[in-house]
Amino acid sequence: MIQSIRDGAAYAAEQGWLSESFSYGFLINALLAALILGPILGGLGTLVIAKRLAFFSEAVGHGALTGIALGILLGEPVQSPLVGLFTFCMVFALLLHFVRSRTQVPYDTLVGVFLALALAVGAAMLTFVARKVNVHILENVLFGSILTVTDQDLWLLLISCVVILACLLPTFNRILLSSISPDIAKVRGVPATFFDYLFVIMITLITIAAVKMIGAVLVGALLLIPGATARLFTPNMSSFVRWSAVLATVSCLLGTWLPMELKLPVPSGAAIIMVSATFFLIACLYQIIFKERGSAV
Amino acid sequence: MMNIKITGPQIQLQNVCLSYGEHGAQILGPITHTLAAGQCHVVMGPNGGGKTSLLRSMLGLTPFTGRIHLDWPNGRGRVAYVPQKASFEPSLPLTVMDFMLLNQSQIPLFWRRKAKTIKRIKDQLGVLGMVEKAERKMGRLSGGEQQRVLFAQALLDAPDLIMLDEPANGMDEQGISLIEFLIKELVTKGATVVAVHHDLNAIKRIAHQVHVINKTLLTSGSVDQVLPKAQPTDFVSLCQLSQHQSNHQIRAMA
Repeated sequence: MIQSIRDGAAYAAEQGWLSESFSYGFLINALLAALILGPILGGLGTLVIAKRLAFFSEAVGHGALTGIALGILLGEPVQSPLVGLFTFCMVFALLLHFVRSRTQVPYDTLVGVFLALALAVGAAMLTFVARKVNVHILENVLFGSILTVTDQDLWLLLISCVVILACLLPTFNRILLSSISPDIAKVRGVPATFFDYLFVIMITLITIAAVKMIGAVLVGALLLIPGATARLFTPNMSSFVRWSAVLATVSCLLGTWLPMELKLPVPSGAAIIMVSATFFLIACLYQIIFKERGSAV
Repeated sequence: MMNIKITGPQIQLQNVCLSYGEHGAQILGPITHTLAAGQCHVVMGPNGGGKTSLLRSMLGLTPFTGRIHLDWPNGRGRVAYVPQKASFEPSLPLTVMDFMLLNQSQIPLFWRRKAKTIKRIKDQLGVLGMVEKAERKMGRLSGGEQQRVLFAQALLDAPDLIMLDEPANGMDEQGISLIEFLIKELVTKGATVVAVHHDLNAIKRIAHQVHVINKTLLTSGSVDQVLPKAQPTDFVSLCQLSQHQSNHQIRAMA
């Protein structure tokens, strides 16, 4: 199926219906990955914002750095150290959340400590890893690369996203209610602690799934920026989630395609975040102008 | 006299104690008491006396020692809670309708909405005078308006037991009258109502039973017993008087 999509795109490029860059198979893979990732990142991002977990998703992204280093040091393939990445990120996120629920330490302080620890351990491990592998490969892991998305990665990504979606759709309202009013949620029989952990697992899964495209350093930002942008101009939760998903998807698609089309040597993760941040700035500008007009009336 | 079919539970408290932390200072108790089913019970007392903690313990939101048993007449019924306040982020686009839907439906907010559910919510918001503000963001409402919405969510499922933590907080006179009317209506339908309240005049209007709490149960009884007309309506004096009466009773029992 993926091959036929690539063939179709190559044919369209050959006929001049699409730009020449669409004839490259790896770009089509990356665009498909962007299409799968975008809506989930955007949708989950709204809950990240509602639950004020922006800093947490950032920390998990940085934890991915250590996970990747750990995987490579333990002998996994350099291009996809999935076991190390998955295991470390999951333990890191669950431990962080567990400590949060059992101590009185303010959440931002706790995340700050964990984030710094993850970076420190990751940096220390990468020193050893850099002796073993090419530094450019590490750059791909840190900042994302469209060249590295294989067919196998696409299927893994699709399965991860289907699992997340299957968990998210029936629990979205209850996760949101638990974050807005935990007491009312508990009285209504919502197992708030269970949903908290479920959400942490979903965030960790999507972070791991997005590392190849966006990179370990920037993946947390894509969980945050589209939602933060949509929040500036949407009137209700329904449009908030939809716009956040649309903005995340468009950012992923444009950030993947533009550097290729314009022949810019920019990592895909960096380009995706720059596009996403541009939308955010436009939305800020829109709100400033709109507010000024509103107050003048 | 009207024959009311009681659907709310009797609440039995046996040696209920609350402490901060595992070996922390005891903040309430021991309390052994029974709240009768199908009545409006008002818990009153000074700030920091443990009223909210007791209410939260009854709901299972705060850990306690001892035993709290809800004795339902016809199997477990529906429980609702109106917290003292809720903090809604002003910039989050969560409308009144969104908040009500969160409490009513498991269909994600961004999915299609059932017309029947929307109608039921609008009807409930209409009762609380909030239907015209259904599309307003929760974080942009005044404290009194938020309190009306919190009350509306509690009434959505026609509760058999409703716990209210200072329900009139921040409300105007019209809102207070409305809340009092709705509380009385719930009791006439057989529900048990437990409310933390400060306003002595309001307590006289709505309560069947009054329980004065300051670290422990100082006194309890009908409105006429606990708040007789001759006694001071000043809240602090009432608590001091209740403490005095309580000490006398303890000495008499000894």
